[in-house]
Amino acid sequence: MARNGSLFAYILTRMLLAVPMLLILLTAVFIILRILPGDPVLALWGGRSPPQPAIDAARHELGLDQPIEVQYITYLRRIFTGDLGVSIGETYNGQPVWNQISGRFPATVEIAIGGMLVASLVGIPLGVLAGANRDKPVDLVVRMFGTIIWVIPIFWLGLVLQLVFGVWLQWLPANGRWSGADVPCGAPSSCSFRTGMYTVDSLIEGNPGHFVNAVAHLLLPSITLGLVLSGFFAKTVRANMLRTISADFTEAARARGVPRRAVVYRHAFKNALVPVVTVLGLQFAILFAGAVLTEKTFSIEGIGILLLNSVTSKDMTMIQGVVVFYAAVIVVISLVIDVVGAMIDPRIRL
Amino acid sequence: MAVVILVIALIGVSAYALIPKPAAAKIPIQLWYNNSNHYGSTEVAVALALQNSISTCGKFQVTLKSDIWTVYKQNWVSQRMPMFLLGWYPDYFDTDDYISPFMGIAGAKSEGSFYNNSQVDQWVRDEASTSDPVVRADRFAKIQAALAEDVPYIPLYSSPAQAVYVNGVQNVELHPVSFKWFIINKPGATQLNASTSDHIINLDPASAYDFMSIEVINQVFDTLLVYDAKNTSLLPGLATEVPTRANGGVSADGLTYTFHLRTGVTFSDGTAFNSTVVKRSIDRVMRLNLDGSAAFLLYDVGALRADHLPGDSAPGVIDTPDATTIVFHLFSPVSFFNQLMAFSVSAPVPWTYNQNGLQPSTAGSVIGTGPYVLTTHVPDQLVVLDRNPTYYNPSLYQAEGIGPIPKMDRVVINIKSTDSALKQDIETKAVDVAFRTIAPVDLADLEGRQTSLGLTVKHGSSPQIRFLVFNVNLVPDKHVRQAIAYSVDRGAINSLVFLGQATPLYSMIPPDLPFGSPVFQGKYGDAQCASANALLLQLGSAMRLQAEIVAVARDR
Repeated sequence: MARNGSLFAYILTRMLLAVPMLLILLTAVFIILRILPGDPVLALWGGRSPPQPAIDAARHELGLDQPIEVQYITYLRRIFTGDLGVSIGETYNGQPVWNQISGRFPATVEIAIGGMLVASLVGIPLGVLAGANRDKPVDLVVRMFGTIIWVIPIFWLGLVLQLVFGVWLQWLPANGRWSGADVPCGAPSSCSFRTGMYTVDSLIEGNPGHFVNAVAHLLLPSITLGLVLSGFFAKTVRANMLRTISADFTEAARARGVPRRAVVYRHAFKNALVPVVTVLGLQFAILFAGAVLTEKTFSIEGIGILLLNSVTSKDMTMIQGVVVFYAAVIVVISLVIDVVGAMIDPRIRL
Repeated sequence: MAVVILVIALIGVSAYALIPKPAAAKIPIQLWYNNSNHYGSTEVAVALALQNSISTCGKFQVTLKSDIWTVYKQNWVSQRMPMFLLGWYPDYFDTDDYISPFMGIAGAKSEGSFYNNSQVDQWVRDEASTSDPVVRADRFAKIQAALAEDVPYIPLYSSPAQAVYVNGVQNVELHPVSFKWFIINKPGATQLNASTSDHIINLDPASAYDFMSIEVINQVFDTLLVYDAKNTSLLPGLATEVPTRANGGVSADGLTYTFHLRTGVTFSDGTAFNSTVVKRSIDRVMRLNLDGSAAFLLYDVGALRADHLPGDSAPGVIDTPDATTIVFHLFSPVSFFNQLMAFSVSAPVPWTYNQNGLQPSTAGSVIGTGPYVLTTHVPDQLVVLDRNPTYYNPSLYQAEGIGPIPKMDRVVINIKSTDSALKQDIETKAVDVAFRTIAPVDLADLEGRQTSLGLTVKHGSSPQIRFLVFNVNLVPDKHVRQAIAYSVDRGAINSLVFLGQATPLYSMIPPDLPFGSPVFQGKYGDAQCASANALLLQLGSAMRLQAEIVAVARDR
């Protein structure tokens, strides 16, 4: 009971701490967008000099004629009531911000999950292998791999994979999320609900062909993103393995005659994994915000490209919306990581 | 004594010759370009090639400056850029659309040159208000002569148009106005797959004012008049004939246009098409005047409002005497009014369309009378067009040997975010057609391998022009502008940046249009450094002053 109470207090504290963090971020976004060069109202007219009454009307409509403190309060009120507004940029003009975010987030989530899967499947075993074989050839190879793959520009790796597997061998689709006209759950009657993630939606509609189509498109971007991240993962896991493998409890296990394999995997690896989970979780949260280069290279319209386009068209409401959404995702994931960490390791919440 | 004097003179001359002199002052000037790919990925290279050709002549010190498109647009309005790159895609296919937005006083202000010549302005009004070819030819000749003399703009090149398609696909026409997906045929198939790297902003005719949105609108909506399959001749669309003076459709004073409408036409949702719907659609565009839309083409350029301001037409301006007749009473003659009625902004929309704002661009909400119906729209990813079973005009291009349209039951257009994705799609034959825009280097690569790949690379001329704009307030001396006109090397831009795929341009009017004359070719040519430097030399001490003026302009 006491333990549960302590965990509850910890979660509550973390949630309360998230509020000022969000406020600071929202305030920073508000200020930065207003000091950037370029007038979002004039930008609406495509270079033509609009008549002053039209400028005034647009400013009034957007609330830009209000005192800055009123604008700030309105901005916060709208965000906390879930109203992210309507795009005022050239690219998404007039479209609700939430529609754009919700329409693109599933694509980013799919890449992020795919990338994390590949990174984990490649990086964690390599890190364990290297940590368990310190300074042996395998360790050197993994360290070299980790360094090289981590510094490879992601777009370059993506282009190489596209060229080899997409264009030359034609084993996998070179770009995009889908081939064909009938996207999963595209017809309103085909699914009871849709997630926007084609892999999941194709399972919901029970169409194996669609699932294969979706996964095939996801493979190259996931491998690209995952391979680059796997270098970081391998190095992180290795470093933690080295710390735990020489810790007292593993020494004790060895002294008790526990087989090496069991020492490595049951004792050292499990304990090494706790800080790794935190790091990987944060990495995952960052990917959720949009793996811009991967999305661009593979022509996948996710959150990253949305933010990029919004910045280049000074779409104030869209940038605000995406950053707020991003902040919320990071806060939620951080919270989850903290809670999971606290559940795994009670020392964290002390 | 004479020898001594001679020796002293020789020593003096030699010493003078040997004394290092300060380098001749160069005129500093900024060349601005857009760095957010508004004109594609080649923009930096175009700016560099221009900088090089102007600097090579030795008298100018050209500094490159850039901004994202949103800020760039404001820079020219707020007069921050003395010399900048710009492009133009016509709204209506008439020579006027390449002249009035640039050489008329109001247009020049909008385009950032601030060129202000009342005589030229009058000529522009003359050509816009008459359909007499003799008068128009005279006025266009005079305007182009003024353009070459005053150099508020330097025409550079016509952008290349290209499409790449799998061998066997038929009727891929690089039409100067609209790429017609509904005439493309793939024998033996019912579905055509395509890719583009263009983006759709929205599909409401009252709002769309970008290439790809209009492109899709042109497949789903019809207009009163439509373009020929291959050229810019107008044909009857929803109207039964093209109004002319000869058939009584255009009044003698050019102020009244009468359109007789087809009967039995319905929108794809089954609702009726008639003259009242057309009037309501035009009024909707003018009243909503949506941000960034082409509504001004109706209430201002099209002279449907006396005050040239947004709003419904005044009573009697658009008459609907019966269900199949609509009459437009213009406030001033507009010689290209028919072309305006062929532009997407004039497309009739059903009675049910949102009268208070933007109509959604989702499948089921985009409803026209055209050959296709929009059945799927995943923003920035996919557009699916299916045959409109109630399309009224399948024999539109029968006389040109193009059978019933639309040719394919379904067209799937994949929207890609990069040029390279487009190339990959066509190279792997994941799609049948790749249209707009493959990078020049990729296009050259595909062209070199088209036989082995089983592809056809088709080039065409595009109505888009690219040019250099001078803000004449910031670069007020026309001799400086003329010197730069001499220095520009279009051949270098074309060969270095576009690998020969672009067409050098010597007037703001592209060669495909009537009344165009390559005035810059005769007067300035290309890379004429000697002429540029001679001109600047003639200015003598005035050049220093000019340098100061431009330097001041640069620092504003």
